[in-house]
Order: sequence, then structure tokens, then C-alpha cells
Amino acid sequence: MTTRPVKPRTAWKAWAVGAVVLAITVWTAIGVETDIGALVRNLGNAVNNLVALTQPDYWFFPNTLPALAQTLQMAVIATAIGAAVGLPLSFLASRVTDPSAPLVAITRSVMNVVRAVPDLLYASILVTIVGVGALSGTIALVLFNVGIVVKLVSEAIDSVDRGPLEAALATGATWVRADRAAVFPQVLPVFASQTLYVLELNVRASTVIGLVGGGGLGILIDQVRTFYRYHQLSLIILEILVAVLVLEAASSWLRRKLVS
Amino acid sequence: MTAVAAPPSTTPTPRPSRPSRIGARLIALAITVIVIGAFWSVEIDWSQLVGFPANLVRYLGLMFLPPDLSAVPEAFAATVLSVQMAWFGTVIGIVISLPLSFLATNGIGPVWLRIPLRGFFALIRAVPEVVIAVLILSVTGLTAFTGALAIGIGSIGTLGKWGYEAMEGAEAGPIEAARAAGGSTAQVLRWGLWPTVTPEVLAFWLYRFEINVRASAILGLIGAGGIGKMLADNVQFRIWDSVGTLLIVVIVVTVLIDLASGALRRRIVHGPKR
Repeated sequence: MTTRPVKPRTAWKAWAVGAVVLAITVWTAIGVETDIGALVRNLGNAVNNLVALTQPDYWFFPNTLPALAQTLQMAVIATAIGAAVGLPLSFLASRVTDPSAPLVAITRSVMNVVRAVPDLLYASILVTIVGVGALSGTIALVLFNVGIVVKLVSEAIDSVDRGPLEAALATGATWVRADRAAVFPQVLPVFASQTLYVLELNVRASTVIGLVGGGGLGILIDQVRTFYRYHQLSLIILEILVAVLVLEAASSWLRRKLVS
Repeated sequence: MTAVAAPPSTTPTPRPSRPSRIGARLIALAITVIVIGAFWSVEIDWSQLVGFPANLVRYLGLMFLPPDLSAVPEAFAATVLSVQMAWFGTVIGIVISLPLSFLATNGIGPVWLRIPLRGFFALIRAVPEVVIAVLILSVTGLTAFTGALAIGIGSIGTLGKWGYEAMEGAEAGPIEAARAAGGSTAQVLRWGLWPTVTPEVLAFWLYRFEINVRASAILGLIGAGGIGKMLADNVQFRIWDSVGTLLIVVIVVTVLIDLASGALRRRIVHGPKR
């Protein structure tokens, strides 16, 4: 009869980690002043609001059209600019295509900083610099997009096949031309598909960026929310839902085309 | 030995005709039209951009030359509240989504439960977190706790989806073994399935926490408290040197959390460095 294998003695570690996680959770629960009682009381008062939210006011639809259009326009414009600016920066941010180590380090750290700030924070500051409206929202989206495009595309560049690049450099091509001829075609599908992904993110982001004054549906959300018009809020949310789902379907269809 | 290889034919073989790329051309054309159309139709006064670089430099100067370091303690306290909101929200999301994602997994949950659950996850994913927050806040009022609640509910969509995807991708061997040993469904899930997916699940919980740190800053902007609220207040009163400090604190804390969480995730997935 074989003996039973010795039980690995790591169980206490799992318990220790669990205890730490639990302690942090309790600390955060106290920090945010968890109050279930107030929640339940408010829920009782809010039943009417909840019912209103299930009944969209469809007659409000024509009033939302300009804001909806602006949301989509902002998303498209920001995606286009973000992708156009992000592509060359991605080549600067990869060791494969950029021979200068300091330049790679600088580009990457600037992009890390740019990515660390959420899009709505950018928007809330830009609103005071360039004024309320679609322009501040679009600039905020562009900043957010450049950060994402550079991260995703430069990671793709890091893992390309270096053979063509070495061949191109061996013919005496400059780095820019070698990158263009030997690396760009390899990352083009990734670039296109990440751009579509950025567009999806943008449609989501541009619907809410107006909450801080950045234009689009968000401005409308802010208005109806201030006046407690839940039927209209419900319609706007429905529109966001439809816009996001339609776009996701279109973009996954396009992505399949790209791959094949 | 007079046989000589035939000289290469001088008439070149015809070049293969280019593959038809009408589909690609049409898509490219459509994209160009959409982009140009958006630029052309949008109500943006692009001439406003002329003064933008100079303005931006001026405001950056106001913010960072120098930032108001006396605001650091307050900014740090506000950031801690935001991070607490993010953590507690993530825990709420995990507690709700974990059982649901088991039920949404092929081969575990019944089909009449699986399909609606997946639809529910997709629905939550489609709505931006801030909108979920606006909804919840409109019902329960603006506090850090309701902010955490909004983050938690907003996390259910992605956590649920990643959960059932991880479980469907799990190795079948241990599950079959547990079942063959006579385990009940709960035992099969606990000892056959759960251990094989734990690393992946822990990794995406951490990743969601990173996302939620950003989301909690945003929720503050609409009034849930924390760093976002402090930023909104300072921007409103144009106390730019405090805004600069706040941005620095946000960036430092976010980058540190990302680095720590990323290192932890790599360790969980790939094991300790050998």
C-alpha cells in the first residue's frame, strides 16, 4: 500500500492572505461609511423612481437626436485623431522599431502618465480651459485614446517577426523607412482591430463625458437628472444601450473580416 | 556530356493578377466617408483650437509651477477614500458575480438560467459605469457607499463574463476525476474546477480593481466623494495649484496600484520567480 502524499504546508499562507484581504475589506467598508439601513430606507422612497426608469418616455426621442449625433461624432473624430497620433508614437515606444533606448523610455513613461488619468478627469479640467462643449470632450477622448493605442500597438510591435526589419536595415534603409516597409504591414491588422476597440470605448465614454460639460448625451443626462425626469433618463440610457450594442456588433463583424 | 540544362526561358511567366480587393476598398471608402462626415458635420468651432496650445501651457504652468504642496495631505486622504470605494466596490462585484458566473457556465447552470444571465452580463457591460452610478445615486443619494455600490454593480458584467469564460476554458481532467470519485456537484466544483481556475480568476479580480480605481475617481466628479469631488471643487473655484497637486497624487497612486497589482497578477499566473 502506497503512503499518502504529504499535504503541502502552504495552507496557512492562503489563510493569512485571506485574513489580510478581509481586514482591508472591513477597513474600506468603514471608510466609505457603509450604511445598509439608509440604503433600505432610501430604496423604499425610491420605488417610484425605479418604476419610472422602466418606462422610457419615447416622445422625448426627437429632443435627444442632436446630442446623440454629437456623441457619435465626438467618438469618431477622437478615434480618428487618436489612431493617427498614436500610430507613430507606438513605433517610438517599442524597442524593436526604435533604436534609441532613451526615446523608448521617455515615450513609454509619458504614455503611462497619460493613461493614469481617467478621461472624465481630463474633460473636467479641459472644460475650463477651452470652454463647455464638444471640443473639450473630444480633446479629452483623444488623450485617452492615444494612451490606449500606443500601449496596445507597441505591445504588438514588440512581438513582430524581426526578420523583415533586419533585411530592410541591411539594404541600407533608414529606420523610418525600414519600420514603414517591414513592421507596419505586420501590425496593420492589430492596429485596425485596436482602433475599432477604441471606437467602442469612445462611444461609451462620449455618452458620459458631457456630465462634466464635454458635450454629447452626457449633458442631457445631467439636465434630466437634475430635474428628476426619470422617464427621459430611462430613454437616454436605452439609446446608449442600443448605440453601444449596434456598434459592438458592427465592430466584431468588421474585425472578423480583418482577420480572414 | 553534351546535355546542357535548358537556358532559362526568356519570356517571363505572367505575373499573377492582383487579388480582387473590392470588399476592402469599399470598407476603407466607407470609413473615410464616415470620418470626414463626422469632422464636417460636428458643431465644433475648430478655430478655438488656435489658442489652445498657448492656453494649455499657461494652465499647466498655473497647475504645476509650482503645485500647492500644502494640499497634499488632503489630496492623499481623498485618494484613500477613492481607493476604498474602488476596493469595496470590487468586493461587492465579486460577491455578486462569482455565484452568477458559476450558474452561467456551460455544463453547470441549466440553459434557462444560463442565457438570461449572459444577457444580463452583456447588458451591464454595455452601460457605462457612470450611468449606472447616476441611476443608483438618483435612487439612494450621493455618498461614498453608494459610489462603491455603483462600482460593484458595474463590475458584475465583466467579472461575470470573465468568470464563465475562465471556467469553460478549464481543464476537463480534474472535473472528471472528481466526478468519477463520486463527488457531488458542489464537491466537483470546489475540488475539480475551482483550483484550476483560481489563478486566472484572482488575476482578473485584481485587474478589475485597477479599472475600478479609475472609475471611483470619475464617480467623485459627479458627487460620490473622494479625489474626483475634490478635483471638481478645486476646478470650479479655479484653485489651479491645488488641481496640479491632485493630478500628481492621482497619477502617482494609480501608477503605484497598477504596478503592484500587475506584479501580483504576474506572480499569481506564472508563479514566483525562479
